Amino acid sequence: MTPTSAASPPAHASGWSREPTQSPRSKSEAGVIRRARIGDAVLGWACRLSAALIALMLVSLIAVLVHSAWPAMREFGVGFLISSEWRANEIERPVRDAAGQLMLRDGEAVMEILPPAFGALPVIWGTAVSSFLALVIAVPISLSAAVFLVRVAPRLRIAGAASFLIEFLAAVPSLAFGVWALFVLAPLFQKYVGPWLHRIFEPIPGLRWMFYESVTVAGRTIERPIPLTGRDLFTGSLILAIMILPIVTSVSRDVLRAVPRTQIEGTLALGATWWQSCVAMLRYGRSGLLGAIMLGLARAAGETMAVTMVIGNNNQISPSPFAPAQTMASLLANEFAEATEGLHRASLLYVALILLTMSLMFNVVARRLVVGRIASSGSH
Amino acid sequence: MSRSFAEFRRRTISSIMFALCAGGASLIIAILLLVIGYLVWIGVSSLSWDFLTTVPTGDVANPGGMRHAIDGTIILVALASAIGVPIGVLAGIYLAEYPGEHVATGPLRFLADVLTGVPSIVVGILGYELVVVPVSRWTHGSVSFSGYAGAAALAFIMIPIVARTTEEMLRLVPRSYREGSLALGATRAQTIFRVVLPGAFGGVATGIMLAMGRIAGETAPLLFTALGSRLLTHNPAEPFPSLTLQIYTYATGPYPEQKRLAWAGILVLLAMLFVVNLSIRIVASRHARMRMGA
Repeated sequence: MTPTSAASPPAHASGWSREPTQSPRSKSEAGVIRRARIGDAVLGWACRLSAALIALMLVSLIAVLVHSAWPAMREFGVGFLISSEWRANEIERPVRDAAGQLMLRDGEAVMEILPPAFGALPVIWGTAVSSFLALVIAVPISLSAAVFLVRVAPRLRIAGAASFLIEFLAAVPSLAFGVWALFVLAPLFQKYVGPWLHRIFEPIPGLRWMFYESVTVAGRTIERPIPLTGRDLFTGSLILAIMILPIVTSVSRDVLRAVPRTQIEGTLALGATWWQSCVAMLRYGRSGLLGAIMLGLARAAGETMAVTMVIGNNNQISPSPFAPAQTMASLLANEFAEATEGLHRASLLYVALILLTMSLMFNVVARRLVVGRIASSGSH
Repeated sequence: MSRSFAEFRRRTISSIMFALCAGGASLIIAILLLVIGYLVWIGVSSLSWDFLTTVPTGDVANPGGMRHAIDGTIILVALASAIGVPIGVLAGIYLAEYPGEHVATGPLRFLADVLTGVPSIVVGILGYELVVVPVSRWTHGSVSFSGYAGAAALAFIMIPIVARTTEEMLRLVPRSYREGSLALGATRAQTIFRVVLPGAFGGVATGIMLAMGRIAGETAPLLFTALGSRLLTHNPAEPFPSLTLQIYTYATGPYPEQKRLAWAGILVLLAMLFVVNLSIRIVASRHARMRMGA
């Protein structure tokens, strides 16, 4: 052992020290250690601050929305959720008596002024119905595609290509679907699909409400066909369905892929057909699949641009899927920029708060279901 | 007899369901090809050199190009990344590399997941209430809607995505790398910056580009923050143009010539996203090769 190596400082200091070994050892060592400590502390606190910012983002999001929505919350309370009037501006209309006749005074119709009113039921209805219809259309397609991707595609060596295409579909922005729906889907529905559905379903008794609406004109209620514009709840639901296909498919695929092989092989060994073993696989992954569907629901409920462009933007509740409607997100996109009056804006923020609460709830539940499932089976 | 019928029945059902599953997968791919094919088909016929190099003229019959909006989107994404990438990566490091503080990292991971589910229109409204309104008050209205506000809204979307993907990628780096580095006397910061981050570089870069692709296609967060503009501006303190906002304005407007521009704009947007996706694949595969060699 040479004297120099015996005199060299401990390994952890020598590795990073630029100081000559002859200089006073304790001083340089202390400097290195101090610098290392400072470096670690700076990094540690930078990381902690950045992570704390994530919490701050969520807190500020909720705080700002509640603060700005407060006037509307105080004014309308929970009744906001079940009130179906949404009038941003006051309107003037003639007063009618009980028989529906105009009331006249000095030969002039007596006018009354209706103040602005805000209720969220039409947009809650629009969001619920369009998301539900989108799920009804998308879920069977997505689940069957997921089964195909897990059980068939690997054997055909097309799993990679098919998955890539589906993931690319997920990366296409909402706006592109909106433009496509507005210029391709809506005219197609107005000219061909709408009238065709009308011809088929109208003669069926009990389905008249799908194509006719009752309106009160001059005190009399008449029934008239809903004009087919192609920009209605049905088109909106269809484009939503197309947009949630990729996420529901890819999450279901991951869930099904995590089903243990032994489960599938066991059913096949007992003589199950291909489909029977698929049913066993689907049953095994059911809570994860429910999570995938809820992720799709959350996506559909919060989707803005494509829906805004084709849903027709009418703040009224109509039972017909062929009537224009409005969702929470499309209401915000349409009216927020023009909402200068205090209560109008506060009401819109109230709607935003409801939308946020709803999609956060869906997301939390969905993630719990999916993550729990994939992690617990441990094959990934 | 009845037994063989049951056998026939279940085999038939199986074949039918097989066909339906294959049909489901083909249907999704058919829809993709239909949508993308249509967008590309019409977009290409509307695209021109002028579209990429000139700005709106104000004349509806001859509306000019979208140079301003393309520049705007690039600047907005760059600004948002300048805010979102460092914060997101540092937060991701915290979630992955400080397991001793799991009392904090557990809930924070959950919050980051929750934040990725916030509807983008709500983010836009937050940007308006939290950035546009206060800034407008402080500057007495001389700055209200601005590129900075738009970039902040986009960064809000970006941070949780980058944080979570960074965390996932850092977790893939073997524990022995960290232990080896620490055993050689490296500090924690040195270990993270010289061993762990380089080891996960490809994955982290992929996550960042994925997030950039996502925000480049966002419209709703910009509606009430950047607002959009018909002018070529590189000053983010002004109302700021973006490709998505301009496409939205043109597509929902009444003029056919502007609608053609919207188609072309969508094509440019998709081309940008495709380039991003392609670079992700290149980075990811090079990274995979490097790790194989190491």
